[in-house]
Amino acid sequence: MFSAMIKKEFLLVFRDKHALLALFVMPAIFILIMSVAMRDQFASEKIDFKVYIKNLDNGSISKKLINKLQDDKNFILSESETNVEFIITIPKDFKKDDKKLSITVMGGIKNDLLEIFKSKLLKNVVSLRIKSVATELAPMSSEAAEAVNSISVSYDSLFDIQYEKNQQIPNSTQQSVPTWIVFGMFFVIIPMSTIYINERKQNTLTRLTSMNISISSMMLSKIFPYIVINHIQVWIMLAVGMFLVPFFNTPALEINGDISALVLLSLSLSFSAIGLSTLIAVTASSSEQATTIGGILNILLGAIGGVMVPKFIMPESMQKFAEISPMSWGLDGFLEIFLKSADIFMVLNESLMLALFGMVCLIISMIILKLRISKGL
Amino acid sequence: MITVSNVVKSYSELNALDSLSLEIKENSIFGLLGVNGAGKTTLLSALNGLIEIDSGTIEIFGLDIKKDKRAIKEISSIIPQHLAFYEKLTVKENLDFFAKIQNASNDALEKAIEINSLSSILEQTSSTLSGGQKRRLNIAIGLLNSPKIIYFDEPTVGVDPKSRNEILDSIKEYKNLGITVVYTSHYMTEIERICDEVAIIAKGKLVEQDILENMLTNRVSNKVSIEIVYNEDLNLKDVIIKDNSIIETTEEKLYFTIDALKAQNIAIKQIRYGSTNLEKHFLDISEASNV
Repeated sequence: MFSAMIKKEFLLVFRDKHALLALFVMPAIFILIMSVAMRDQFASEKIDFKVYIKNLDNGSISKKLINKLQDDKNFILSESETNVEFIITIPKDFKKDDKKLSITVMGGIKNDLLEIFKSKLLKNVVSLRIKSVATELAPMSSEAAEAVNSISVSYDSLFDIQYEKNQQIPNSTQQSVPTWIVFGMFFVIIPMSTIYINERKQNTLTRLTSMNISISSMMLSKIFPYIVINHIQVWIMLAVGMFLVPFFNTPALEINGDISALVLLSLSLSFSAIGLSTLIAVTASSSEQATTIGGILNILLGAIGGVMVPKFIMPESMQKFAEISPMSWGLDGFLEIFLKSADIFMVLNESLMLALFGMVCLIISMIILKLRISKGL
Repeated sequence: MITVSNVVKSYSELNALDSLSLEIKENSIFGLLGVNGAGKTTLLSALNGLIEIDSGTIEIFGLDIKKDKRAIKEISSIIPQHLAFYEKLTVKENLDFFAKIQNASNDALEKAIEINSLSSILEQTSSTLSGGQKRRLNIAIGLLNSPKIIYFDEPTVGVDPKSRNEILDSIKEYKNLGITVVYTSHYMTEIERICDEVAIIAKGKLVEQDILENMLTNRVSNKVSIEIVYNEDLNLKDVIIKDNSIIETTEEKLYFTIDALKAQNIAIKQIRYGSTNLEKHFLDISEASNV
C-alpha cells in the first residue's frame, strides 16, 4: 500500500512542470546569479584604491610619500588620471606644516570606503611626518629623535583587537548556496498543496478514506517522497555551487564539514519544510490560496531568517529576531558545516529544532485534516 | 440486508437526516430519489462510514456501522458524484494505484477494466478523457475491491445521453454479479429504468418506499412514455424526447408517434401509460422544495 502511495506522489510531482521549476530551476539560478553578483561584496581580500598622484612638489618628502604609498598594498598607483578612484595632489613645498594634500574623489565612492581611504592615507602621512620630525630633532637631541622615531602608527602596535565570537564571514558562494537551498526546500509547498487540495476538492481523499486508508498513513506516505525530493534539491544545489559557479570567476563551494552532518541537517530541514507545507495545504481552501500564503510566508521567513539579507550584516537586534525563523536555523547549520568544518554534533541543536518544528506542524495538520474529513471536508 | 433505523445527522442547525428509517434488500438495485439537498449524499456517506451519525443505527449485512466500520468499508464501495481520481495519471496508473492500496486481485482489476470498456484507453492521461470515459474510470475504481455493495452518488451528472445509457446498462450488470446497488439520482427516468425498489426522501425524511412496479401502476394523466433503443438522430414532432431514449407523448398522439418511429426504423422497448406515483410524488416534493 505504502509503495503505491509513494509512487503516486512521485508521479504527480514530476508531472507538475511549475513545481519542478520552483523546486530545482529557481534555486539553482538564484545560486548562480547571487554568487556571481555578490562576489566582490563578500570578497575578504584586502581593500585597494586606484590612485593617481599629481606631484607639484620637488622635495624629498613628497617622493618618500609616493614610495610609501607604492609599498602599501592598499594603494594601486596609476600612471594616468583615467579609471582612478582618487587623485591626490601633493602641493608645492609640501614639507611645510601648513601645506595640505588635495584629494579629488572620482565618481561615487561609498562613505565607509572613503573613511577607510582617509584612514589608510593618514597612517602613511602621519608616519612620514613623524620620521621628518625625528630627522629634524636628531641634530639637537638624539634621544628625543629616537623617542619620536619609535612612535608607531601601525594598527598592530596601537590596537589589540579580540573577537568574542569567532565570526567567520562566508564568501558569496558559501552564503548563496545554503541560502537558496533553504529557500528552495520550503517551496515544496507548491506541489504539496496542489496535490493535497486537488485530492480534497475532487473527493479523492474521501475515496481513500472510504478504502480504509487512515489519515496518518496518507500523511506518512507524503513525507517520504518530499524528503527524497528535498535531498535531490540539496545535492543539485551543492553541485551548482561546487562545479558551475567557478565557471563564472567566482569561488567554488568547498564542503569542509562532515557529510553526515550535512545529511542530518538536510533531513531535519526537509522535515520542517514538509511540516509547514502540510499545515498550509490542509488549512487553505484552494491551491491558489495555498500557493499565495505559502509564497508570502516563505518570503517573510526568508527575509527574517537571513535569506534576503545575510544575518552577519544585520543589526544585533535583528540577528536575535532572525532566530525565530526555521530558515535561520537551517542556514546557521549549513554555515557551520561550510565555514567551521562542523561534524554531526555541531549541527545537532539546529537539527533538533528543525525536526521539532516539523513535528509540531504535522501534528496540528493531522488534527485539522481529521476535523475537516469528519465534517465532510 | 441493509437496515437504517431512526438515523439523525445534523450539520449546525440543518437536519441532513431526520429520523430516517429504510431497508434495502440484498442483491437489488435500490434507488434513492430526492431533490438537491434532500439528504441523499449524507445518507450514502453514513452508510459507508465516512461520517458519524448523531443517533440511530445502521446495520449492513449484519455489521454495525459504529462497531464494524472497517469491515463495512471492505465490503462496500462508493462511486462519488465528483470524479475522484488523479487527472495527471494515466487510466492504468490510476487503476493500479487504487488496486494496490486495497490489495485488489488482478482478476478484479481486469474485470473492472472489461466491464467499463477501458482497455483501449489504459495508457491515456486521465485529464484527456471524454466526460463519459472519466465517469467510467470513476466507476471502475469503485469495483476494484470486489464490493458486495456499491453506492452510486448521482454518477451521471454532466454526462452526455450516450454515456449515460452505457453507465446505466453497466449498473444493471452489477446486480447479475450478485452486488447490491444503491443508486441516488434526481432523474426519475434513470430510477425507473434500473431500480427494483425506490425510496423518495425529502429534507432528510423518508417520504415513500416501495418496489418500482407499485410506484409505476397508478395512472394520474393521459401521458404515455415510449422507451426506445438509444438513437442520436431522432426526428419527431410534438413530443418530448428525454436522453434520446424516452419519448413522452399523449394517448391521442400515440399512434402517430409509433408510425413516425416505424418510419425511421426505430425499435420500441416498452410503452408505459400515465404519470406514475413516482413522478407525482417527485413533482410534489419538488414543488414543496421550490425546485
